[in-house]
Amino acid sequence: MRTRTWAPYALIAPTLLLMAVFLVYPIASVGWFSLRQHTVTQPWKNGFIGFENFRRMLFEDQLFWQSLAFSAKWVVVEVGLQLVLGLVLALIVNETFVGRALARSLVFSPWAVSGVLTTGIWILLYNPSTGIFQQLAQWGIGDPGTSVLGDPATVFPATVVTELWRGVPFFAILLLADLQTIPNDLYEAASVDGAGRWRRFISVTLPHLRDAIVLSTLLRAVWEFNNVDLIYTLTGGGPANQTTTLPLYVARKAVDSHDFGYGSALTMAGFVILLFFSILYLRLSKFGSRA
Amino acid sequence: MKRLLVALALVVSACSAGQDGPTTITFWDNNGGPGRTPIYEELIKRFEAANPTIKVEYVGIPSSSVQQKYDTAIAGGSTPDVGGVTTSYLAHLVGQDALEPLDERVESGPLKGKLLPGLLETVRQTAMDGKLYAAPASGNLDVIWYRSDLFAEQKIAVPSTWDQLVDAAAKLTKPAENKYGFTIRGGAGSVFQLLAEAYSYSGVDKFYDGGKSTVADPRNAELVSKIAGIYKKSTPEADVNNSYTQMVAQFTGGTVAMMHHNLGSTGDVMKALGAQKVSAMPLPVGPSGKRTVVPNPTDGFAVFKGSKNSDAAWKFVEFLTSAESNGYWNEKVGQIPANTDVRSAEWIQKNPAVKMALGVLEDPATVLVPAPVYLPEYSSITKTDTEPLYQKVLLGQLSAQEFLNQLAAKLTTAQQEWEKRK
Repeated sequence: MRTRTWAPYALIAPTLLLMAVFLVYPIASVGWFSLRQHTVTQPWKNGFIGFENFRRMLFEDQLFWQSLAFSAKWVVVEVGLQLVLGLVLALIVNETFVGRALARSLVFSPWAVSGVLTTGIWILLYNPSTGIFQQLAQWGIGDPGTSVLGDPATVFPATVVTELWRGVPFFAILLLADLQTIPNDLYEAASVDGAGRWRRFISVTLPHLRDAIVLSTLLRAVWEFNNVDLIYTLTGGGPANQTTTLPLYVARKAVDSHDFGYGSALTMAGFVILLFFSILYLRLSKFGSRA
Repeated sequence: MKRLLVALALVVSACSAGQDGPTTITFWDNNGGPGRTPIYEELIKRFEAANPTIKVEYVGIPSSSVQQKYDTAIAGGSTPDVGGVTTSYLAHLVGQDALEPLDERVESGPLKGKLLPGLLETVRQTAMDGKLYAAPASGNLDVIWYRSDLFAEQKIAVPSTWDQLVDAAAKLTKPAENKYGFTIRGGAGSVFQLLAEAYSYSGVDKFYDGGKSTVADPRNAELVSKIAGIYKKSTPEADVNNSYTQMVAQFTGGTVAMMHHNLGSTGDVMKALGAQKVSAMPLPVGPSGKRTVVPNPTDGFAVFKGSKNSDAAWKFVEFLTSAESNGYWNEKVGQIPANTDVRSAEWIQKNPAVKMALGVLEDPATVLVPAPVYLPEYSSITKTDTEPLYQKVLLGQLSAQEFLNQLAAKLTTAQQEWEKRK
């Protein structure tokens, strides 16, 4: 009989242990550091300072609010455009046409490219001496020497396009997989009832895709919020901090300035925001309770 | 398993053999890579031939991660015996009590009086106690690399003042052909170079005046405005994001005619363009005509306190900074030898850039204005905090004076804290 009492605990122990090691400990240690002054280059100043980092962040640090606002804009624009374009692509490659297999693999290939490589490709494309804009200038469109990443007016769209190139296939893959599970009978029944193409899309396809859309936008929003590799390598957050997201600011504070205390406070802010939105989003969309 | 045991046995025997066999010291090269590693390999071969009882184990570390590697080694107690260091992070190592002072060893050995006083000074200045924690090996100087062929073609005189440089840059610019006169470093590393430019123009001969930073001097701001004024006119638009890599690519690719960097880029520049097309000039001067130079970080060798064979370690440092090795090394990398006996070497006469740099450094009229690289916050102030601000100046979103005021305020606070701890 005794075995019954410890067996369940023993069985969930590995999971609990893994969660403790990979979830609880890192979060707790960042929380602890956020209450400390901790700079590698000035060890004599290290120590517990309570909520001083948070006070500085909320009331004195203009760049914190600026990077937060930019993160919000980045997530909304990126996820919105990726969802719409991904859905369009998924619907296209879901149709039957000659060369569909080739089209599908072409559509999905950017997803396989890492963030830093994506940057490498796009930096070459944007290069003012050898890239597409130099080519366009030779044909008389635009000025020679145009640097889209150097001009504050164009750096945002240029960065958005780069990330779209990589992000759209993610939505296309997920939505396509879900599209293929929609039974054909539904479309046939709808046609019999006199529904046109658009009506079938609104009343059959979209409701069926709801869970996939919810899940993929949530996941993607978190990923885009935390996107560091692509922006860091493409613009470094510049020019003049114009493309600095919150995580990028964290990286600059913690990695470049060795200020781990303040960097941790910034991280906690990001953590709380993401947690709040994840809960809200899951509740609003009633994920998992398809009634 | 068997293999592992054999390996273990070998390690054990190697350790015990070390006691009566040759002494092994570890040497970390702080800028390891295909360019410099072979030079050290040759020098180590020569050293071991001359000192059969000492074996040197070479470890090449890329310069971008060397500071982090030293930090980790200090924390874990696994520092090398000898390490290459530059003054930009020397204070940081001294602050962690990781290095041996070398004053006595230099004074009592063959290096006495043989090291360039200016370089010794820059090394001493980084330590709070004013002691020598690294033997300087090589100096560097900011220069303007220019396309001598283009200057000759268009009959433009080589500028000696900043105003002449601005004029020359305008003349050499042809936007329709994607040709520009000058390139600005607007991205990573920008502020460090900008300070050298500002002080060379202003003639302000002290970085601090009574504990207050002189960075915001209106004459410094004048130069910053001048540079911002030619952005996009005589320079490519992409310059606002330029780090070293992009800058040097524009220069060697033929897009720009002048580039401010230092002797450290000799290899990249010469390999791409060749001595017929490119020359180096010192940074121009301003209206005062005074030559004020913000020195570049000095390269040198440090002996770590954790070394169990510090005598052997010092012997190696002495060997590396001896006239012969020091000359060999600096000839290969194109920098200024710290050992004064090398000055008359033939290769210096054949290397106009190094000869010019030595001339500037040894000219009694030259005033050195060392930047406070010893401040623990220096790199975070001049990089994370103010590089984006300089980009704002270039983009016309912030005035040069306001930018320098903010920079000066941070530098003054940091200096005052440092003075208090002293």
